[in-house]
Amino acid sequence: MSTAASLHQSRKRKNGVMMTLCVISAGIGLAWLALILGALLYKGLAGVSLSVFTEMTPPPGDAGGLLNAIYGSIVMTIIGIIVGTPIGVLAGTYMAEYGRFSKLTTVVRFINDILLSAPSIIIGLFVYELMVRPMGHFSAIAGAVALAILVIPVVVRTTEDMLNLVPNALREAGTAIGAPRWVVIRSVAYRAALSGIVTGILLAIARISGETAPLLFTALNNQFWSSNLNAPMASLPVTIFQFALSPYEEWQQLAWTGALIITLTVLALSIFARSLTGRREDK
Amino acid sequence: MSQMLSPDMTIAAEAVTKAKIEVKNLNFYYGQSKALKDITLSLPERSVTAFIGPSGCGKSTLLRVFNRIYELYPKQTAEGQVLLDGQNILDRSQDLNLLRTKIGMVFQKPTPFPMSIYENIAFGVRLYEKISKAEMDGRVEQALKRAALWTEVKDKLNASGLSLSGGQQQRLCIARTVAVKPEVILLDEPASALDPLSTAKIEELIDELQADYTIVIVTHNMQQAARVSKQTAFMYLGELVEFDRTEKIFTSPREKRTQDYITGRFG
Repeated sequence: MSTAASLHQSRKRKNGVMMTLCVISAGIGLAWLALILGALLYKGLAGVSLSVFTEMTPPPGDAGGLLNAIYGSIVMTIIGIIVGTPIGVLAGTYMAEYGRFSKLTTVVRFINDILLSAPSIIIGLFVYELMVRPMGHFSAIAGAVALAILVIPVVVRTTEDMLNLVPNALREAGTAIGAPRWVVIRSVAYRAALSGIVTGILLAIARISGETAPLLFTALNNQFWSSNLNAPMASLPVTIFQFALSPYEEWQQLAWTGALIITLTVLALSIFARSLTGRREDK
Repeated sequence: MSQMLSPDMTIAAEAVTKAKIEVKNLNFYYGQSKALKDITLSLPERSVTAFIGPSGCGKSTLLRVFNRIYELYPKQTAEGQVLLDGQNILDRSQDLNLLRTKIGMVFQKPTPFPMSIYENIAFGVRLYEKISKAEMDGRVEQALKRAALWTEVKDKLNASGLSLSGGQQQRLCIARTVAVKPEVILLDEPASALDPLSTAKIEELIDELQADYTIVIVTHNMQQAARVSKQTAFMYLGELVEFDRTEKIFTSPREKRTQDYITGRFG
């Protein structure tokens, strides 16, 4: 009896120690996030005004905005998504549906996982060699291609995972009713996995909208308004990089504001993605 | 084992109806392992045939040969002949999608598609027929009535098929199968995931459907086989042990193994 009681006591103590450690660790993790968000809000909000969204990036010492950088980020992100998403979804579809039992799928999955964790600066250098050097100049289109290459592995992975979650019974049911394979995939499997696949695309947008390194080597930057895809284009991350390192106060303020804009955008996308996934789990 | 059956055991000979499906010397393999051994039997038209036997005896495997659904997976192969109205469906030239419109299947777990109740039924119809909205409405209603589900869902046809209860989902799957006007309906343990009330409904339904369709049901539940089927095949370890009128199988089986199984001595 006394052994049981002392065992119980020692377990209780260990439990208390473990729980304290876990709570402290969770607190530390959250604290950094709160500090970063707090600093961003404090420093960033000070610079938010209408001119941020209506004026171009200024020369040193002048007032201005971030319009050309915001525009560039949106344009290159959209092109990156438009180019990367179909490739990613189709590749994921091959892996989960047509090639489920093939060796090729295993190889592609392995390579895709490497690509998924490849440092983005390497993607930037790759596109630099592939497009910027042959073309002879930096361009928005090269930036968009670099972003598309970053999108592909994210979308491949989520599409494959989400399609793999669709029960085989559902595919069998679709097949049993006489539907050809592609109809089963389009009308049954995609529909069952839709929210997951969309979540993957949103996460890809969130990922590339904050990427700096691949754009440094491809789209470079542009201090003026440019909608020419064949010319260097500004983007928020590169502008933040440049302005934050500068000695000019106006630029530093704009960098904070730009960082706040990106963070809030990514936060909104993540919340939206979570709400989509959550809805699926409710079913 | 089937060659040991005496001639009077071939149901087709004594039954009034003609054979809808004839299986001749069918062997089935999962990779190297043989799951069906030289199966020969013939299933009469517009009648319910039950396959019974312990888990892993090959009854579901046999059912899955009839619409060749096994071909979704690699390394599964069938040898021999399965004649549907005299046509060998194992022929390479057989159009699988067309075959599957003729032979419908309902699975163990209800599998409504992730779409509305209406769309669940219209989906299959639309694959092979171009009909107007009004005609489609009629078809959906007819199929749901046939599956005894209409009164329960007629006011919420646009609700998701997934919002229904398990028993209702299974009847939706039957409605969906009936809507494409098949000739044969394969039921793979259709009631094993359902409560007794829903099971009773499904069994009633099977009884009604046999007026128009050839029905094959795989079941673990011997009482169910006895209740719904006209003839029963007892399978064991990939062999067809005995195939006869249901009554005969359950009252005076020829084989000792059948006797042992139906009296609960094993399985």
